[in-house]
This record gives sequence, C-alpha cells and structure tokens, in this order.
Amino acid sequence: MAYKPPIDENELVKQLQDPKTASAAFNVLLKTYSQPVYWQIRKMVLNHEDANDLVQNVFLKAWSNLQNFRGDAKLSTWLFKIAINESINFINKEKQRLKLNDDDADLFLLNNLEADSFFDGDALQKELLAAVAKLPEKQKLVFNMKYFDEMKYEEMSEILGTSVGALKASYHHAVKKVSEALLGDQVV
Amino acid sequence: MRQEDQLKDKYGTDPGFRVPDGYFEELNLKIMEALPAYPEAPRKVELSLWQKVKPYVYLAAMFAGIWLMMKVFHTVTTSESLNLDNPPAALAKVIASEPEDSYHRFTPINDYLVEQEVTQEYGSIEEFEADFGYSFKPQYASL
Repeated sequence: MAYKPPIDENELVKQLQDPKTASAAFNVLLKTYSQPVYWQIRKMVLNHEDANDLVQNVFLKAWSNLQNFRGDAKLSTWLFKIAINESINFINKEKQRLKLNDDDADLFLLNNLEADSFFDGDALQKELLAAVAKLPEKQKLVFNMKYFDEMKYEEMSEILGTSVGALKASYHHAVKKVSEALLGDQVV
Repeated sequence: MRQEDQLKDKYGTDPGFRVPDGYFEELNLKIMEALPAYPEAPRKVELSLWQKVKPYVYLAAMFAGIWLMMKVFHTVTTSESLNLDNPPAALAKVIASEPEDSYHRFTPINDYLVEQEVTQEYGSIEEFEADFGYSFKPQYASL
C-alpha cells in the first residue's frame, strides 16, 4: 500500500508509532522539523559542524524514543526539548574538555563562531552574537527563541518548562543586558 | 524607543548563519539512512499471583502490626485489660471522673499559696482563730 502523508499531527504520531508506517512518517517529520531544530541548535553552539552532528543525534534519539512519545506535547516541542538538552550537554562537555569555567564559556562559543566557515555575518552580527553568548544559559535560550525566531511565550513555556511570566522576565533581563553591552549610552 | 526595537534597528534579527547548498535534503537522507531498526515497544511483563497480591499482603501485615503494638502498649499502661466485661466506654468514664481533691493532689503547695488561700477565706485573724480553735501568740497575731 502506498504511503499516504498524514494530514495532521495526531495522524503523524499514529503513523510514527506503527512499525509499518514509521519510516515513511519519520521522513515527513524530518522534512517538517529538521530545519527549525537545526537552526535552534546552531544558535546555541554557533558552529555548523557541531550543529550538524547534534541535529543528527537529536533525530536518532527521537527515533529510538518514538514508543515513549505520549502525545502530551506537540512533536515540535518534544524535538526542541531534545535539541536543547543535546546542545546544553555538548556545551558542558566541551567546557569540561577545555577546562573552562562558566565565565569563559562565551570565549569557547566565540571561538566556535570564528572557526565556522558558514558564518556570513558582518561585524555587527558578530557583535550581537558575542553579546548573546555572554548571557546565562536560560536567558540565552529565551533570547534566541524570542528575538531571532519570534516564538510565542506559550510555546517557549512548553519547551522550557518555565512559566510565561518567568520567561517574560528572563527576556526582559536578556534584552537589557545585551542592549547595555552593545548600545551603552545610546539606550533610551 | 524600547531597547528591543533599538537592537533590532541596529543589528537586525538575522544572525548571519548559512548552510551548504542542498544541506537539508542531504541531512534528511543521511538521517534516514542511519536509522536503526524500528525500536520495539516495551514488552508487557506478566505478573505472578504473588507479585499481584504482595502489596496488599504487606499493607494488611502493617495494619496487623500497628494493632498488635497498640494492644501491647495498652496492656502495659493500664491495669485492666479491655474485654467484654470492661469495655472501652466504661474505662473512659473512670478516667474522665476526677477525684474532688484533684486540685490539692496535683497542685504543689507552698507558703505563698497557703497565705493566699487563708487571706482570701478569712477577713481577720479572729475569724481564723475561731474556725480553727487556736489562738496565736500576741507577737504573731499582729502580723
């Protein structure tokens, strides 16, 4: 029987959890979500090669855990959660490997950015990413999701498991820190 | 102007990343090729009868233990055992009925309390002397 692409997410989940249709449904999942998941990871690790490895790990983990997906959250939320955990684990491992403390973590990320041959940004974009890299982990995540992706707080809340109020406060602090670092006296 | 708008005006919202041409098509293919066999659903393990009833047996044993402990404690702390001839209600009645002189039994008496009671009860030393058939020596009577 020819594979019929799912019409909605519930249908996709059903097909993913049926061994007969899982592979074809996973292809649909990849086509739908590989890009947003990749960009989310890329903004955290600031390097294409690392993001490339991590995005593959994320989808392989998702495949291995298909039977555990209960459908309580959206597929995208579930994938973003895995992506964020993978990225944070990667950054922590790198910090340990390079024997860096938390204050120097941004240096490692900036070196990652410098080494990235697929970074086309100008001096201003590099300046912005450098300021964002200095933020604490949670604020960095919130800033990336809101500032670059314009994600809704409700969706962020599901992914990060934090209340909307706390996310708004985090974003406010993050914007303030980045603005002060970049705009200095120009901040009105 | 809000700080966020100022940032967006000056720095934009494009982080400046790019990917090789045809990257996502290749990525999807690579992931599909790397997928292992479909993960088996966790097998349901059939529980034996003992495994099924074990928690209830443990719960019953716990309650029996508590009952036994209370019974032993009660026997140790009361002289009369609880039985049909001596029901708990009768025992509670005995415990609830305080002897009339319980105040004196349980209140430590000192000089101050004695003096307070005597001065409250008697208006003068003569009344006290009349009540007790006793006369104080003159030097004490003046106190």
